[in-house]
Amino acid sequence: MSEVKTVNMKIDGRDVTVPADWTVIRAAHQNDIEIPHYCYHPDLSIAGNCRICMVSVKGAPRPVVGCATPVAEGMEVTTTAAPEVEARKGVMEFLLINHPLDCPECDQSGECKLQNYSVEHGQDHGRFHEEKVRKSKATMGPHVKYWGSRCILCTRCVRFTDEVSGTGELGVIYRGDRSEIATFPGRVLDNPLSMNTVDICPVGALVSSDFLYQSRVWNLHSNSSVCADCSVGCNTRVDLDAKDQIKRIVPRRNDAVNKEWMCDAGRLSFPYVRTGRLQKPKVGGVDAIWKDARRAALDLISANGGANTVALVSAWNTNEAMASIRELLAAEAPASRVYGYGNPVVADQVFPGFTISGDKNPNRAGLKQVLGLDTEGGSNSLKALASESAPIGTLLLVHNIPDFAITPELKAVLDRSENVVLLDFGSGELLRYGNVAVALPTLTSFEKTGTFVNKDGIAQAFEPVMEPVTYGQPETDIVSALTRDARAHTTGVRA
Amino acid sequence: MAETTPPATEAPAPKPVVPFSPVLLKYIHEPNSHTLEHFLARGGYETARKHVGETDPASLIAIVKDSGLRGRGGAGFPTGMKWGFLAKGTGKPAYLAVNGDESEPGTFKDRHILEKDPHQLIEGVILTCWAIQSNHAFIYLRGEFILGYQRLEAAVKEAKAKGFIGEKSFGKDFPLKITVVRGAGAYICGEETGMLSSIEGGRGYPKIKPPFPAVSGLFKCPTIVNNVETIANVTHIIKNGADWHKQWGTEKSPGYKIFCLAGAVKKPGVYEVPLGITMREFIDVYGGGLIEGRSIKAVIPGGLSAPLLTPEMVDKCTLDYESLASLGSMLGSGGITVLHDGVDMMSAIYNTMRFYHHESCGQCTPCREGTGWLEKLAHKHHAGHAHAGDADLLADVAKNMRGRTICVLADAAAMPMQSYLQHFRGEFDKRVGEAAYVERGRSARDEITPAAKRETVAHGAPGVLDVGMGMDRV
Repeated sequence: MSEVKTVNMKIDGRDVTVPADWTVIRAAHQNDIEIPHYCYHPDLSIAGNCRICMVSVKGAPRPVVGCATPVAEGMEVTTTAAPEVEARKGVMEFLLINHPLDCPECDQSGECKLQNYSVEHGQDHGRFHEEKVRKSKATMGPHVKYWGSRCILCTRCVRFTDEVSGTGELGVIYRGDRSEIATFPGRVLDNPLSMNTVDICPVGALVSSDFLYQSRVWNLHSNSSVCADCSVGCNTRVDLDAKDQIKRIVPRRNDAVNKEWMCDAGRLSFPYVRTGRLQKPKVGGVDAIWKDARRAALDLISANGGANTVALVSAWNTNEAMASIRELLAAEAPASRVYGYGNPVVADQVFPGFTISGDKNPNRAGLKQVLGLDTEGGSNSLKALASESAPIGTLLLVHNIPDFAITPELKAVLDRSENVVLLDFGSGELLRYGNVAVALPTLTSFEKTGTFVNKDGIAQAFEPVMEPVTYGQPETDIVSALTRDARAHTTGVRA
Repeated sequence: MAETTPPATEAPAPKPVVPFSPVLLKYIHEPNSHTLEHFLARGGYETARKHVGETDPASLIAIVKDSGLRGRGGAGFPTGMKWGFLAKGTGKPAYLAVNGDESEPGTFKDRHILEKDPHQLIEGVILTCWAIQSNHAFIYLRGEFILGYQRLEAAVKEAKAKGFIGEKSFGKDFPLKITVVRGAGAYICGEETGMLSSIEGGRGYPKIKPPFPAVSGLFKCPTIVNNVETIANVTHIIKNGADWHKQWGTEKSPGYKIFCLAGAVKKPGVYEVPLGITMREFIDVYGGGLIEGRSIKAVIPGGLSAPLLTPEMVDKCTLDYESLASLGSMLGSGGITVLHDGVDMMSAIYNTMRFYHHESCGQCTPCREGTGWLEKLAHKHHAGHAHAGDADLLADVAKNMRGRTICVLADAAAMPMQSYLQHFRGEFDKRVGEAAYVERGRSARDEITPAAKRETVAHGAPGVLDVGMGMDRV
């Protein structure tokens, strides 16, 4: 540890030591002492407006907000004594008096902080018998809708657009209990990070247009994953319904990678799991059983010891897949050559609090580490291969890139190849291109284990979040079966 | 009128009564009192010329500290002490922000300085800036002050043309810029940090304290925020000395102050009087007593948010910070409103609550939601639709609002409600179901307010046959 000044303090009678520049709420949360909060968010500035995080500090005349109170040496804080409990109760009541009782149709229901804190800190009856204030509904942008009446004006979303996305589309309009969140005139909440506002909204005021009315959250089950949409490798939580359909992807906190943010494209990237998949192996464009397809592939790859074989491995493959391919080629086609490729790298989209990588490949760093290949240039990239003109006997194309448009370079290489052995989970343009002799279905990163190395060199392993939706297999399994087949060839023992 | 010396009174003044004639408002009745010529002819800018670039700033702060001048905006914090809190050596510029967003109902003192004597304020600003070594002052004006804005803006231009402010103020090596900023008509921008947010170009949301403005205020730089009247006082105190200022007032509330008198008096208006005179004297001598045939029901002593004084409390009250605090109220901004015995207190409290509901900025939950709730309940009492227990609910809501927000607007709304409930609870209770009985001659149960309907459904309504309900019950 570097020189961090710390202070010793007591929270609910527990001695804790925390950095001197922290606030009470952070100190408490760090020590697993829960203090309820709406407007406070560890990655945003302090607003101090919801007033629910009341704590008592010894010596202070009345409860103070934990989010805006700096820690001090010898400070004694209580979070469950009568004054703050009463204060919280009052704040909960105020929050609910104008809040509509539309939980049955609210998307947030089930993961709503108002519901949770109402149970924990609220009262069991209402005393407000007047007419509620009604506010407007609005479509904030392509992915976000706003229910004004549900809003508790915590301004997390406003601070997010000011501080993290830096785009500043949102503001508060009107005054007092007529206040609403709105986009500034002529603006639309369409920045590439807009859906984070849905995550940080503690109530059902900002909801995702994509997830709206798709499922009740208590019918979902969740698994952890890593986003494959770019080289950032955002940690994600994938929510699926009872039929294993992915309903939404939300970020999972990892301060070393993505904090608690994620781009909209990554969240909405999952439809390729269910659509346009290569269901079964194909030989010569016709469905085949795995064994025949493997045999055909092996024959093509190992012809002439691989002298005429070229492998092209994309930066969308896992480290494990790449290592398998390396082993396969070493064993069955030692004379072959390997090249790397991937989605073209464009400029990063840099925001004040987040960067969306322009490298739309999840594992370009892994490609370099495992196979020593690059996609953007150098002697072992697709560019180098495309500049040659010698015909290729067998092209082993390990693809696994969703929504891929064939680049001129890849087209040149395909045109030069006599046969193509394709490993891919999609049944897109590549499969239809013509000279695909054998196609072996693989799995998406949602369906298999693997490891991606992100742009900062952090290797992140992930597990499948769902059962495979095709007859595809992970590359590791395909390769081990291929080598088993090859052994059977040489020993004469039928596998 | 205002110039008349107060007659020797029976008030227990600890020191000999010194004749007082207005200081800040001395010239406001003269034509063209707002012009530079008029101001220069009466020795204007001489004090600033004498001290800027010459006198040690610390000694000026010492004079103001010694004078005991307390902030005239409402809180009454000692001005010199506040100046002493200004963070030094931060490497950032220091600012002076003068609060002219006078919007507390019942208060209309600063506008007279702004409209009738703007140069007096500017000289105070120059001296204050020299004392706290600030090179940029902002004067924030209430948006409705059109004339005040025009005259202050013109006065700043004149002062600049004369070289009193600018790159070299009075030819000394002291650059000073004065920026006049106008509000857009929000009460909350009169709160010091709300005003700073507004000057910064943001929504007028008050900021969390600490850090206090003296440490991190305008544009996150050390800032002194003072009221217009406070700053106007500075010139006179520096010119005449601390002891001159202390010859009036009480020990803890020295000096004189401008009070605004409104309501059921014969001569409402703006009066500058020494602190410590009795409230009765102020109302009866300066205000000419109550209008014919009326007596005092209550007095709002320091702007609308100050808790009420009953006639008995008025008799005991003197116009200084301590006396009013001891009576559970406050001197505040000095806006005194007299309510006569014919005033319907439910109407008064409803009007008060309507104001705070309208003006809550909406940042903190208790204030945003609580002010609206208070207004709705006050309206029910005003209109006679109240239910038994609503007055208790009002008390509880007001209690839940107090001390739980970033700024004191929630307290400003809750305090009058609490004092009305304390002193006039009978009038609240009288309104329970009154309208239904009196105005319509019908049963209170027939009222079709949602609450009444709910109650009917919950408790059943004898004599009312509800077919649908009856079927269900069977």
